[in-house]
Amino acid sequence: MEDFGSAALRRLLDAHGDAVTATHAQHGDATAVVERARLPDALHFLRDDPECAFQMLTDLCAVDHLEQDGNPRFEVVYHLYSLEKNHRLRVKVGVPEDDCTVPSAIPVWPGANWLEREVWDLYGIRFDGHPDLRRLLLYEEFEGHPLRKDYAKERRQPLVGPEN
Amino acid sequence: MAEDQWLTYRERETSDDDFDRDLHTEHQILNMGPSHPATHGTVKFLIELDGESIVDLDIQVGYLHRGFEKECESGSWYQCIPYTDRLNYNSAILANLGFCLGVEKLLGLETPERCQWQRVMGSELSRLADHLTRCGAACLELAAMTPFLYGIQARELTWDLTEALCGARVTTNYIRIGGVKHDMPAGFPEQCRDHIARIRELLKDFDAVITANRIFIDRMRGTGVLDKERLIAFGVTGPLLRAAGVPLDVRKDEPYLTYAELDFDVPVGEVGDNYDRYLVCVEEMHQSLRIIEQCLERLEKLGPGPVNVLDPRVRWPAKGRVFNHMEELIQQFKAVTEGPMVPAGEAYSVVESANGELGFYLVSDGSAVPVKVRCRPPSLLNLQPMPEMLKGCLLADIIPTFDFVNMIGGECDR
Amino acid sequence: MPVRVVKVKRHENLGFLERLYVPMIVKGFATASRHFFRNMRGFITGDRTDFVVQYPEERVDYADAFRGMPVLVALDNGQPKCVACGLCEFACPTDCISILPGELAGSGIERYPEVFDIDMSRCMFCGLCEEACPEEAIVLSRECEISTYERGAMNFHKEQLLVPEHLLKRRLDFLRAEYDRQSAPAGKS
Ligand code: SF4
Ligand code: SF4
Repeated sequence: MEDFGSAALRRLLDAHGDAVTATHAQHGDATAVVERARLPDALHFLRDDPECAFQMLTDLCAVDHLEQDGNPRFEVVYHLYSLEKNHRLRVKVGVPEDDCTVPSAIPVWPGANWLEREVWDLYGIRFDGHPDLRRLLLYEEFEGHPLRKDYAKERRQPLVGPEN
Repeated sequence: MAEDQWLTYRERETSDDDFDRDLHTEHQILNMGPSHPATHGTVKFLIELDGESIVDLDIQVGYLHRGFEKECESGSWYQCIPYTDRLNYNSAILANLGFCLGVEKLLGLETPERCQWQRVMGSELSRLADHLTRCGAACLELAAMTPFLYGIQARELTWDLTEALCGARVTTNYIRIGGVKHDMPAGFPEQCRDHIARIRELLKDFDAVITANRIFIDRMRGTGVLDKERLIAFGVTGPLLRAAGVPLDVRKDEPYLTYAELDFDVPVGEVGDNYDRYLVCVEEMHQSLRIIEQCLERLEKLGPGPVNVLDPRVRWPAKGRVFNHMEELIQQFKAVTEGPMVPAGEAYSVVESANGELGFYLVSDGSAVPVKVRCRPPSLLNLQPMPEMLKGCLLADIIPTFDFVNMIGGECDR
Repeated sequence: MPVRVVKVKRHENLGFLERLYVPMIVKGFATASRHFFRNMRGFITGDRTDFVVQYPEERVDYADAFRGMPVLVALDNGQPKCVACGLCEFACPTDCISILPGELAGSGIERYPEVFDIDMSRCMFCGLCEEACPEEAIVLSRECEISTYERGAMNFHKEQLLVPEHLLKRRLDFLRAEYDRQSAPAGKS
């Protein structure tokens, strides 16, 4: 697979080439699509390898490809940044609808905690090994996961809390 | 004064001295917020206290969740821009800019030079307003009213400039995909220079009453410290990380717009406590003022020119021609009802906002409606390690720490 | 370019005087008094330097670019300039405009809005409707003090929105200057 001139992507392909299913570098953002089962290995490698040195997880989010007939339907996207090398990498992992789980990234970056809670909250994707997977932005009684494309924008939720 | 009187919770737990050892009284749970007079922002703290020491802290966010991403994913690309105003309501231009840079990355657009300078100027004005609010509000919440008023007066001056530039003080809606809404008004440079002088004067007064004030220093020094490895692991960016001594600044590391040509410094602290954060913010304000002056100079040298790319995909036809030319009229209809068709793909754009790295991850499937507009909120990630910063500290330390973490509800909860 | 880093200067070791609180209190008092007396002098001599505006007796003048509430431009005969094309409805992110087009028999205009409502409680003064309108029929006025006793009254109807053209001169001039600049031949940069 091609590395598009990104040293980090090259290192990842050399070390875990069998885990990477696709790469691209659209608009200059190096991207690797990683198999879900191998994700923790790949993330650990990316943090610890001195050539990659991604000490910082800048962002973690999910995308719902329902309208694009995405297969798998969801994608969890990690944006990594290395302060030493000043480079970025995007790691994506596909998540099928009937098995919405991803291994948690908290052992690698503690900052993933709230971001994973947010993805669980808004997309209903579970993170295996997350110590405290509560909703982050919405309240516990909320039904459904609003950023899924099949959640209608107009849908209303029942009022909760004390009688008003 | 006996020093051991001030042992923190952590030290008392491990102390050998029987006198110091904890009495093992029951811990108390305290609810602080969601609307607390000493926190600017709606957030709830669930604090476990042992006497006055914080044993554990749970932060509950989400009180201002308005479905920004859902709302953006149901309109066309240009309709998202007013929503980005409402992310960080102190520095709306920065959020406008982050989003538009992302869309331009997807479209492969390069904006004209004049537009870039104006964008830089706008974003520095925004940063200035944000830092002034942060420092001013921090003083207010530590019960210092006078510096707060100086800070707010300086912020009013920045907002006057923002109003002259964009047409609104807070919700600017200024940056457009491929340009800005309109050119800066005539007479803006003079007004700007005049206001900058006044802001400098106010900053001097601000500094005089607070920076070396012992009461302020006692509240700020040594509170909310977390070492830099931990901060980096939590994804903390912006003044918080710079105060801990890491000179990470997107404007320097991955210069966007014309930042590479500008002359400015990156202030860093050494300890990473609240006092360093305050000093870093104040220094950044001076740097922002310097940048604005440079921008004005360059803009004057550049002379008039286009501030929008002439790309029919994103640029609505010139209004003067729409009124009496059929072709432009049809184009206008098409542009408004369809919106720009953004090529399929994904892009992540970053700008250095006042709180840290503000990223937009945009996914398009080639249609006029975005598939995903993800805002990487610096406030949320900066707030996350706050329990770690505060464990073992006193209850009162929550206030200055929260002030300098500067959680902005609109951006944190989106 | 190497990153130039400046280290902030901490007041690490406070001197004896600084630790006494008193000098800082005096200094703070002096700064505040300086502001007070300067403003006082301004107040007496009429050359005001204080920052507070005694609203509503006094008002500030907004900038030329100011965006207030959207209104409809009325022609001299009192009819709206609007042709009910619906572009503003499309452009509005919050869907707060509702238009019902009608036909005006006998006059030169074929279409006009029979109903034109803007829900001001949802409008965010963003100005996209103004940018979208092909007729310069909806513009953002300088009015921003809208408050009502009921929520329903925030839904402004056509009659409330119509404003004669001469009252909107400042905004229209601002917009037209911008059009001229846009249509000027580009490439001077
Ligand atoms: S100003 Fe914005 S929100 Fe208000 S009516 Fe116009 S487009 Fe809609
Ligand atoms: S865009 Fe202008 S002409 Fe068309 S309906 Fe709206 S106000 Fe009327």
